[in-house]
Amino acid sequence: MPIEVILPKVDMDMETGTIEAWKVSEGETVTEGQLIFEIGTSKAVMEVEAPASGIIRRISAKQGETIAVGTPVAWIYGVNEAVEFKTPGTGQSSFAGHAAANDAAAPPVERAVVSPSANTVRATPLARRLAREAGLSLADIKGTGPRGRIGEMDIRALLAERASSSQPSPGLGPAPGTGPVRPPPGSGGELVPFSTVRRIVAQRLTDSATRVPHFYLEAAMDMSASLAFLKHVTPDMAARTGAKPSLTAFIAHVVGRVLADHPLLNASVEGEATRFHAGRHIGIAMDRDGDLVVPVLRHAGAGRLAETIAAFSRLREAVENRSLKPSEMEGGTFTLSNLGMFGVDRFTAIINPPQSGILAIGRTIETPVGVDGQIVLRPMANFCLSADHRIVDGVVAARFMADLRRMLETPELLL
Amino acid sequence: MSMPIETLERAVDLRELSYAEAIREALAQAMEADPTVFLFGEDVGVYGGAFGVSGDLVHRFGKERVIDTPISELGMAGAAVGAAITGMRPVLEIQFSDFVTLAMEQIVNQAAKIRFMFGGKAKVPMVIRLPGGSGTGAAAQHSQSLEAWFAHVPGLKVIQPSTPHDAKGMLLAAIDDNNPVLIFEHKLLYKTKGPVPADAYRVPIGKAAIRREGRDITLIGSSMMAIRAEAAAKKLAEEGISAEVIDLRSIRPIDRETIIASVCKTHRVLIVYEGVKTMGIGAEISAMIAESEAFDFLDAPIARLGGAEVPLPYNPVLEKAAVPQEPDIIAAAMRLVRQGLV
Repeated sequence: MPIEVILPKVDMDMETGTIEAWKVSEGETVTEGQLIFEIGTSKAVMEVEAPASGIIRRISAKQGETIAVGTPVAWIYGVNEAVEFKTPGTGQSSFAGHAAANDAAAPPVERAVVSPSANTVRATPLARRLAREAGLSLADIKGTGPRGRIGEMDIRALLAERASSSQPSPGLGPAPGTGPVRPPPGSGGELVPFSTVRRIVAQRLTDSATRVPHFYLEAAMDMSASLAFLKHVTPDMAARTGAKPSLTAFIAHVVGRVLADHPLLNASVEGEATRFHAGRHIGIAMDRDGDLVVPVLRHAGAGRLAETIAAFSRLREAVENRSLKPSEMEGGTFTLSNLGMFGVDRFTAIINPPQSGILAIGRTIETPVGVDGQIVLRPMANFCLSADHRIVDGVVAARFMADLRRMLETPELLL
Repeated sequence: MSMPIETLERAVDLRELSYAEAIREALAQAMEADPTVFLFGEDVGVYGGAFGVSGDLVHRFGKERVIDTPISELGMAGAAVGAAITGMRPVLEIQFSDFVTLAMEQIVNQAAKIRFMFGGKAKVPMVIRLPGGSGTGAAAQHSQSLEAWFAHVPGLKVIQPSTPHDAKGMLLAAIDDNNPVLIFEHKLLYKTKGPVPADAYRVPIGKAAIRREGRDITLIGSSMMAIRAEAAAKKLAEEGISAEVIDLRSIRPIDRETIIASVCKTHRVLIVYEGVKTMGIGAEISAMIAESEAFDFLDAPIARLGGAEVPLPYNPVLEKAAVPQEPDIIAAAMRLVRQGLV
């Protein structure tokens, strides 16, 4: 019996999803656990693994198509298993007497669309010729024209992508007489549609930057005590949690503590009211191959430092190996963004709505400062708080910064 | 590219002439060079022609060679055919091209066929000049573009010069031709000016001109539509769209080679013509492309902009709306290039 591959529900309130990219193609042999496609929800992109080993057949969902959760998108067949295609209507109209039985017995996919063949694909004559010459199957190409029509640009983009990948194959150069790859008319370069993640990021940040009145408070903090403290506890922490404490994790722990005394920075605007959040869940901006990912550290600073460090380390790993669940990116009440590791001195950040604050952290660098009438070098770091002025007043934000300084410069207060 | 080579070679004696003046000069030079050439039509003599094209020719060449005729297009066309097969080279002016419908029998059944039916023993070297097109508020019976009617008939040649330069050179080539040639002159073009060499040069019939080179789309038009397409191409360039403009100049014979080569290069084509869209020149060009090697180079549907499916309105606003205008060409080209839609 073939095993069905469905569009899984990877998120609580998920009703539909989009196949962002098929990682396997029709007829390919897969092993259980192998990555077979990526699914985009309204919040994130997730990887989906093969539920069984076998041969992928009857791929029925196209890339980019939005489909309901639970819809079969492909089947995994045994090696010698025959494939039966049933086109819509054949079972029911030709054998009217068996219609009811068919309805009950047939797996849902039997009413689904047969995988697209070259004959059903919309493509311009030029695209067909280019595909033919390059040995490409039109069924595997996503058209960006009207009603999914594949045009010259789609083929050229694919060929350019292949050409720049590590396995150049023969016959993929520009077709004779058609010239080199050229940008779409009316623009200066390549046009790449947004991924699901980019679409969400773009929409939310535009929303925040245009609708939320931001203001910024900046302070340089002396990190000597915190660094010394971190260095001091590292061996013990590493032994207990298996994770090396990072400065970002430490700061997240501290910010979690400080937020407890500053509820307006752990709040959201809801209509004409302020929602004070019970828990302090800190989103940490992370980079994954150029995409912004913001996993959420739950109850940051509420427990022991070791717990924060262990939780942070888990999230970091999940981001790196792409196993982060959408639920792990939800429910943040404040955000930290640390670009210090890139040598950035200071920056201002856009609030991640509906939160009311985000803390932008620059690099820690030895800086001459005046101490007791002497110029001395101290590891200083720049912290810039962006706050939502609808609910956070300047003084409220300043008090938060003052407490943050106190805690960072006197980490013993954590105890 | 907008200036043909033959013009460049004569750059020394370039003058600016209007389209009407260029035609008059061609007529005068042909009549000076060849005593068998003569001009006739309604009011072409003393009045100087309804659009002032013949002007003072009656004074220069006399009433024997510039003849005012009675109001009978059929009679005039019959006289032209008779004169042509007996050794003359008549140039007939039909006052408004619309009136040519009265002369169909002589043109389609006689002029076009005689050379073939007599096995080449007779020839019909006649020219009919036809002021056509809309835009002058002359209403439904004086504004049509009927060139496609004649382009359907083997044995006829149909030309539509868009510039004073081509008007003179093509008219001289038409008078030289041993076959009946219909030259459709757009009424809006008569007053347009352009460089015209003084000598009696020829512009070959059947060869299109590339008025502007481009990469993204080919705009094909003739006569007034070639002018509008070129203007549209300039605006499209500001939008980042590189449009190639082909001025057909001749629609029978049509320059298949230039059209196909251009579409192979740009992958998109918009055909603009003033005649009614259905069964028009655009349909022929569209089919020609679809049947050719250019098919495999198309990256968008073949698009046509033609005249509306109505008798041309008298109301000037409606009259404009019934015929492709420059903004229509720009919009259609942008839609085709950017969205792949007709």
